[in-house]
Amino acid sequence: MRHVRGFDVVRPLSIWMLIFMMMPLVFLPLASIFIFGTSSGLGNFWAALNAPEAIFALKLSMVTSFWATTFNVLFGLFAAYVLSRYNFLGRNALIVTISLPTAIPTAVAGFALLLLWGPYGTLGRLLRPQGIQVMFTAGAIVLANIFVTFPLAFGVIKPVFDTMSRSLEEASATIGATRWQTFWHVTLPSLRGAIVSGALLTFARAVGEFGSTILVSGNLAGRTQTAPLYIFAKFNEGQIEAANAIAIVLALFSFLIFSVLFFARDWLDVD
Amino acid sequence: MKAQVARIMDLSRTPPLTESVPQPAASIVGLSKRFGQTSVLENISFDVAEGEALVLLGASGSGKTTILRIIAGLEQPYTGKIMLHGKDVTELPPRERGIGVIFQSYALFPKMTVEKNIGYGLRIRRRRRKEIKNTVNELLSLVQLEEHRKKYPSQLSGGQQQRVAIARTLAYNPEVLLFDEPFGALDAQTRVHLRREIRALLRKVNVPAIFITHDQEEALELGDRIAVINVGHIEQIGTPREVYNNPASEYVATFLGAANILEGTVTGGHVVVGNAQMPARLLNDRFQEGQAVKLIFRPEDVLVSKNQEFPTGHACLSGGVVEEISFVGAYERLRIRLEASSGGCDTSDTPFYLTTETPERSNAKPVIATRPKPESNAFRLRTGDRVFLGLSSFTVLPNDVRTSATSHSVITTSKQ
Repeated sequence: MRHVRGFDVVRPLSIWMLIFMMMPLVFLPLASIFIFGTSSGLGNFWAALNAPEAIFALKLSMVTSFWATTFNVLFGLFAAYVLSRYNFLGRNALIVTISLPTAIPTAVAGFALLLLWGPYGTLGRLLRPQGIQVMFTAGAIVLANIFVTFPLAFGVIKPVFDTMSRSLEEASATIGATRWQTFWHVTLPSLRGAIVSGALLTFARAVGEFGSTILVSGNLAGRTQTAPLYIFAKFNEGQIEAANAIAIVLALFSFLIFSVLFFARDWLDVD
Repeated sequence: MKAQVARIMDLSRTPPLTESVPQPAASIVGLSKRFGQTSVLENISFDVAEGEALVLLGASGSGKTTILRIIAGLEQPYTGKIMLHGKDVTELPPRERGIGVIFQSYALFPKMTVEKNIGYGLRIRRRRRKEIKNTVNELLSLVQLEEHRKKYPSQLSGGQQQRVAIARTLAYNPEVLLFDEPFGALDAQTRVHLRREIRALLRKVNVPAIFITHDQEEALELGDRIAVINVGHIEQIGTPREVYNNPASEYVATFLGAANILEGTVTGGHVVVGNAQMPARLLNDRFQEGQAVKLIFRPEDVLVSKNQEFPTGHACLSGGVVEEISFVGAYERLRIRLEASSGGCDTSDTPFYLTTETPERSNAKPVIATRPKPESNAFRLRTGDRVFLGLSSFTVLPNDVRTSATSHSVITTSKQ
């Protein structure tokens, strides 16, 4: 009996069922961060957040994620341009390789970086006598972030490139623009939406990165400890409030980014 | 407004129609193009005079778009060269040619307003801000889009977008304008309206233009001259009147409007079409005895009469029976089966007369005739009526396996 006197029963039932299913899986875990974090008063929360190591961890996360994002957006633009404009042997292999890092477990990614850049790694061994250390620095965190977020910006930008009408660029060329002018005035503005959402995705993913970071950073408080590592460390030390304060910040942050992505889509792609 | 138009006209180069033989604005010389082993263009040559509008007319896949892209520099020819005002630009990239291309999709920059689009060519040429502003204002008033200057292309109608696209190219004084299927994306009514508008605009700015189209009506109305392209070569090039009235090949005859084609042979100095004969005095000596020919005439050149009396300038073709009458709006269309038995034309005074030999061939093919309303009202016909057909003009072409414009053995016998 689907309808009771013209009232569709399935509709409210299915909506409530969906919400009910998401409760223990998503809503309650998120809610508990906020409930627990504020249970001993906002003052405690604020104090936990203002601990020097906490502030450092948040800053380090932002800075390393920023550089990783900058690199990956520029790289993604370049790679998308090359791979959608030119057809060559091995093109598909390159596309698969670029997309691969999403499928690799982050711990494996961190481990791979260690094996390359670590003190006894393939390249690290050669750099050590020069006094250059890559691993267990902020640079290592950026490298790990770049690796795990590698295909995100590319993946958003390339489809836009693929569907972009060539006649816009051809028109620009016949009007008298150089390749660079065409790219700057015509191609890039059409990619604005894709670039912004690609950057936001990359940044959100990089800020939360844990598996690879913990391997390559050394997890040194106040030096190479990012926000997710800080949460892990404080939890291990039994300082639940300290861990919780940062957890709230990260949760709010990702919530913010995805709101922007969701609501600003139309604005970003406005013609 | 007038002064502004005058200023833009000043920008165009030499005045048209000078007494001396003017240098063509654009010359395309011996162009050919191959994609791999397939030849898509063969020996394409034509000139565009200053201020002239030339239409490249052809079916899709005829290679007309490739010609346009080669002129614009977006594709490289296999052989041949492109000259613009006497300068060889074959090796130059698109941006150094100074050509205005109006793409089928208009290709307006979606993130720029109308005025930014129009000013683009000047901005990348690093002109002074004031100069750009003035030129953009002039062009906006020329294409009557002043009130839309701050809008984005997506907020404009198809016709408005097209005007922006034209203004955008006029801003940098193009050597020649290329229109790629300019009305392809528009509905039938807008199309007719816009092509008149563009024609008027082009006359005003006096920039030579090359149009690409597959629409014969459009070609006839837009072009000072038409080049009919068929599978990579030019079948015929000439004024709309020439191309329509004196088609150089069967392809041209059938592609531009409807045509009746009757097969015949040159026999004893006559062209024998089935059982109709055409006296040799109409023939050029290029046709030899026994040569297979085609008699081509348009439906509107057929005059239908109850008796054999035709106004002067008309030649009686044959008698026939009306098989079908259809009303097509502006005129009436008749399908008439030629019939020797229904009586031939008098042999005394008319160029055509019937012979009794081989009536089968002419019986096989019906002739299509159209009549304007006054005529069809004055002289009503029904299916089964016996009538006589007169021709006001016709063309005789050699009946080769491949009739092409490269064979110039074409004579026309229009008697108007």
